[in-house]
Amino acid sequence: MPKLILFAAFFKKEFILFRRYLVNSLGGMLTIYIVFLLLFGGYRGFASMAGAVGGSGIENLVVGYVLWFFMLTTYQDVFHTILLEARQGTLEQLYMSVHGFGWVMGAKAAAGFVVNLIFVVVLLIAAMLTSGVTLRLDVLSLFPVLLGTLLGVLGVGFAIGGVTLILKRIESYTQMVQFLLIGLIAVPAERFVVFRLLPGSYGAVLIREIMVNGKNLLELGVGNVLVMYLIGFAHLFLGYAFYKVCERKAMIQGTLGHY
Amino acid sequence: MVRVEALEKAYPGRKGEPPVKAVNNISFSVGEGSLVGLLGPNGAGKTTTVKMLCGLVKPDSGRIFINGKELTKRRIPALAEVSAVLEGNRNVYWRLTARENLEFFAALKGLNPAALRSEIDYYLEFFQLVEKSDVEARKLSRGMQQKLAIAAALIANSKVVLLDEPTLGLDVQASYEIRQLLKKIVEEQGRTVILTTHDMNVVQDTCERVIIINQGKIVADDSVHNLLDLFRMKVYKIVIQGELNAEQRQALGAMEEVVIEEESPQRTVISVRLEGSQILYDVIGILGSYNSVLESIDQEQNNFERVFLEILKGGVESA
Ligand SMILES: Nc1ncnc2c1ncn2[C@@H]1O[C@H](COP(=O)(O)OP(=O)(O)O)[C@@H](O)[C@H]1O
Ligand SMILES: [Mg+2]
Repeated sequence: MPKLILFAAFFKKEFILFRRYLVNSLGGMLTIYIVFLLLFGGYRGFASMAGAVGGSGIENLVVGYVLWFFMLTTYQDVFHTILLEARQGTLEQLYMSVHGFGWVMGAKAAAGFVVNLIFVVVLLIAAMLTSGVTLRLDVLSLFPVLLGTLLGVLGVGFAIGGVTLILKRIESYTQMVQFLLIGLIAVPAERFVVFRLLPGSYGAVLIREIMVNGKNLLELGVGNVLVMYLIGFAHLFLGYAFYKVCERKAMIQGTLGHY
Repeated sequence: MVRVEALEKAYPGRKGEPPVKAVNNISFSVGEGSLVGLLGPNGAGKTTTVKMLCGLVKPDSGRIFINGKELTKRRIPALAEVSAVLEGNRNVYWRLTARENLEFFAALKGLNPAALRSEIDYYLEFFQLVEKSDVEARKLSRGMQQKLAIAAALIANSKVVLLDEPTLGLDVQASYEIRQLLKKIVEEQGRTVILTTHDMNVVQDTCERVIIINQGKIVADDSVHNLLDLFRMKVYKIVIQGELNAEQRQALGAMEEVVIEEESPQRTVISVRLEGSQILYDVIGILGSYNSVLESIDQEQNNFERVFLEILKGGVESA
């Protein structure tokens, strides 16, 4: 119950900031919307040029983009919070929460996810209506896999956040992580099974299975989905454990928070 | 309410440098419903102490108890009992309004903001923020931002509130208001407030008790009242031309009642706390023996600045 209140508080905060900085927020939404339209229009153009008809390519593109978008925002919800709030001098207050910092970040990421999910769904529908393209999406299968995929990304956010706590100058390098996330999606984990151990990569494989081969959750195999979740939790655990080590070091150095 | 036992903290030195001893064997305890000042010059270890008390800096050794809960053993239960406003930090969210900040901070401390409407209204009223309750924190004046940060620390109802340099950088008016409000909060709610400052006036205005720290050590822990007794003593201020020589400086430095307040090639200002008149003759003797030219001797009120300097020198015995 108290954790729910914490989640609600973050959700409310996200929502308030969205409304208060509406121009910024709409700008962000417009970007996503335009990307959707480009994906739709671009694919149609490409398909007609090649004389191809139909196919699931467009769905793949859209789902790939949405997956990357959520991986990026989830990662940023953790990592940016640690980085920016440390700079602004509010991180300490999060640390003094009775919920513990791990739960605070979890609530924040969950609230961010829900808010983003609402936007993506709205924008996707808007893009479909304007372009006249309809997607065949098995949302019931995609959603649980998406959630599992994001667990690992949460771990990545904690790990990179931890590094910035003790090495303040690393900041500029962390920009690269957003491209690394694309790499995690793109690695050929279908063929090379070891790649499935990377954060988010196995989830990406399962999502492609759903999209390309039209499998649903049951056809994917409950065992496989469980393994994917297990890997996700392992990454979350490892990332968080690493973060705790960094946090301890920062508390000894006195560098938790602003510097 | 707060008990600190033999707290030690040395920050690891930056590359190749030795560790910085910030807090050196500090022990004190503070009872419920008191307002205690932690006074000391810059770099004395005040912020480090505060950050250890709210679990943000890990002590090397020693124990901290907040309302009976040992912070140094289990952080989270103790964190329910303590809130803090830190020095030089925003402490609140600049893009949220005053009211939204208070709601958010209540949730962080495990309370349901929806059930706290009347408390939130109370604090907005108390800190004279009612008219600004729907204004973003970034648009408030410095003084109001600080009031809001203090209100956010109070909203969780934690027993102990730590305020690190709460009036630093504020204008006279805002600083005065905050001091008055803090006194009122402690009187009305029986909270335990520990504030740090390097400004003697803040302590004099607000605190019942003062713990003076310097170079990581407690050099005095007494009621402000007792310290103020030192003020009632007569002080003579002696101004001479030019500098002291080494012998003079050594002889005067050994006298507990003497503080060298200012020294430059042009002139030197010495102040002497007077218990009997003998000491004044001794000082004049030391100055005269090397033909220092006296410019003036004036009787003055003792001030906190001087008492403070004298304590740092080790001249005042404290309980
Ligand atoms: N994170 C840190 N790393 C290294 N030294 C520090 C750190 N924080 C403070 N210090 C040093 O510790 C001493 C005490 O600092 P601080 O507790 O901030 O004092 P105050 O708040 O009384 O001014 C100072 O010498 C300061 O330079
Ligand atoms: Mg300080």
